[in-house]
Amino acid sequence: MGQAQIVIDQVSHCYRPQRGREVLALDKVALDVREREFVALLGPSGCGKSTLLYLIGGFLPVESGRILVDGAPVAQPGPDRGIVFQHFALFPWKTVRGNVLYGLERAGMPQRERQRRAQQFIDLVGLSGFEDSYPSHLSGGMKQRAALARTLAFDPKILLMDEPFGALDSQTRSLMQGELLTIWQGSPKTVIFVTHDVQEAVYLAERVVVMSARPGHIKAVIDTKFDKGETDILKSKSFIEKVDEIWHLVRVEAIAAQGDRLS
Amino acid sequence: MARVAGSTALTAPVQASSLATRVIHYASRVAARSFTIVVLLLVWEALAHSGVVSRFMLPPLPSVIVRIIEQLGSGEFFVEAGRTLSRALAGFAVAGLAGTVLGMLMVRNAAARWFFEPVISVGFPMPKVAFLPIFILWFGVYDLSKITMIIVDAVFPVITATIVGLQGVEREIVWSARNMGATERQVLWQVMLPAALPQILTGLQVALPIAIIIAIATEMLMGGVGLGGAMLEASRSADSASVFAGLVETTAVGYAAIKAMALVRRRLLSWHQETQRSTGF
Amino acid sequence: MKQALIRYLPLVLLALAWEAVARFELVSRLALPTLTDVAVAWFDLLRSGELLTNAADSVYRGAVGLLLAVVLGGLAGVFMAFSRAVNVLLGPLVELFYPVPKSALIPITVFWLGFGDGSKILLIFLGCMLPVTIGAYNGARSTDQALLWSARSMGAGRLRVVWDVVVPSALPELLNGIRTAIALSFVLLVLSELIASRKGLGFMIGLFGSGGVYDAMFATVLTVALLGFVADRSFQLVMRRALAWQG
Repeated sequence: MGQAQIVIDQVSHCYRPQRGREVLALDKVALDVREREFVALLGPSGCGKSTLLYLIGGFLPVESGRILVDGAPVAQPGPDRGIVFQHFALFPWKTVRGNVLYGLERAGMPQRERQRRAQQFIDLVGLSGFEDSYPSHLSGGMKQRAALARTLAFDPKILLMDEPFGALDSQTRSLMQGELLTIWQGSPKTVIFVTHDVQEAVYLAERVVVMSARPGHIKAVIDTKFDKGETDILKSKSFIEKVDEIWHLVRVEAIAAQGDRLS
Repeated sequence: MARVAGSTALTAPVQASSLATRVIHYASRVAARSFTIVVLLLVWEALAHSGVVSRFMLPPLPSVIVRIIEQLGSGEFFVEAGRTLSRALAGFAVAGLAGTVLGMLMVRNAAARWFFEPVISVGFPMPKVAFLPIFILWFGVYDLSKITMIIVDAVFPVITATIVGLQGVEREIVWSARNMGATERQVLWQVMLPAALPQILTGLQVALPIAIIIAIATEMLMGGVGLGGAMLEASRSADSASVFAGLVETTAVGYAAIKAMALVRRRLLSWHQETQRSTGF
Repeated sequence: MKQALIRYLPLVLLALAWEAVARFELVSRLALPTLTDVAVAWFDLLRSGELLTNAADSVYRGAVGLLLAVVLGGLAGVFMAFSRAVNVLLGPLVELFYPVPKSALIPITVFWLGFGDGSKILLIFLGCMLPVTIGAYNGARSTDQALLWSARSMGAGRLRVVWDVVVPSALPELLNGIRTAIALSFVLLVLSELIASRKGLGFMIGLFGSGGVYDAMFATVLTVALLGFVADRSFQLVMRRALAWQG
């Protein structure tokens, strides 16, 4: 087994708000992620899973511990680690096409090639015909597809997803999960997927990293490799048992997180 | 969240209803509005003729209308409105540009922020027109002092709107841009400014009427060709019809300015959610 | 305490710069009297009673005009939000007077009521009513239907509901409208006293200006500016108290 692509080594993170006390969000988290692996970060609200994602992405500075990507420490955001946010973060003044083109423009791709590539990814996520629409005209699901197309277009080798389907209704969410899996299977990348939904984590990921309540550390890492192509996988016995097993691990942390909030 | 009077459909797009219904709606709105105004004008006429107030105080409507037509015909109105507007727009342009730049500077640079924040926070609520005599002392009684005063008054809302707009940009949008390889400068100009544009335009929309108000006010104080100057002259020479005519004319100019800015806003923000729904006041 | 010092330090630096520039005559002493000269003139005016008398005149005019604007404007706004009839009646008037440049009202009020208190009070009343009405109207209209229904179902009568639910809901926008009106009242007051008055702080500024007594002029200008600032800050405190529940 080769060197892991992403190495998270004893990473802790403290939030220091303008007013109020310091909050320890992450407590000595250690994790290795292999190339092209689909990993889910699962845990209750406030457990620091998004924080860990932002640290890997370079949006927050790593103050304690190290994060290495392909052997080099993470310093800045960059197109090698593409991010998809829960609330889409589309540029509202640009059309879908304009949004998808942005990363390609920054990469200095020649005009003709980036137009072609943008169209390719717009088609891939199923937004053909909406290239010239503005985000304010799109539904939640469509916005998330646009955000996905935008990030995939500049071909990051790592995909960071921050509860990307959290703002969608449950039907759209199910559809998007299936589509994401299809896309990933078509062009495998390393994916780190943050969610609080156990079933989503088990369905999508090959490994589920269960995090504790704040201050977050890794409680357990469960293998969830299934044959995702199997029909009605969600109703299969092994799937349900796996979800159950993980849910019990999470439940305790969710209750602890609740208490933390009320105190 | 349901509201008390009328609902605004937040996500439903504006329906293209049939032409007939739209015409009827428009006509009835115009009729409703005109009703009160017509009543107002009738009350005016009645009062003017009743003898309760002298002709001096409340000139009969026809005399005011005649005066307006005279001023339009002789070109007097256009000269005066032109002068007032040119000062107001000159001040507005400088204030708009300087205000936006200063706002951007204050957001990016801690030293600038530290230095200007108390100046703006203390200066904003002050009646800056009180400094007009000082400006006259320094800059004379011609256009320079007038325009300087306009700039000083109009710049504040632009600065605060720019700052609020830039600080309110969704963090994730900035992060996405950086994620896609944008440099800090590109992030500022290509992402933060467009994202802050709605707020900045609001600031400009507040600044323009201020510019007009101050332009008129400075003319009244210092004299000079313009709508304000003309009105004060009329007031001094007891030409009541001209005073009222001037009021109508300045209102028309004010109205045109507001509408023009609203149009510019709609054009620039055609992508924005707000243009999808009808707004109240 | 230290925070406040650091925060307002730029103003202190500007004051020092003023003193330095004036003292070293980088500009003519006439155009910029030293800060100390201005301070001395200020104290003289205070001692002679001139400052206080004229300040009282100005404040009286402003306060009365503002009070009328707030009360009548506020009532108008709330009623417009509630009664379709009132809305149809007054709505067009509000829309009609919205684009009037407030300073354009000065010649008319002077024309009607001359150089005395009346014209100033009328001016401020007319000019400041609009922001209050609009604030009250928007605030009242934005009351959450669900809150109204909850109150009604708990036994509150129609009028009671207005007092218990609508007014608190409308408060943020209404208070902001009043804050705008306060700032506007100062502007209109100063302008009308500069242009057409025989007493008041604005009049004093003009008097000193034309008389060449620039240090007294600066002193009065700063007094007016400061009053406007203090009025706004004080009202902000009131707002914070009234809206404490907003969190």
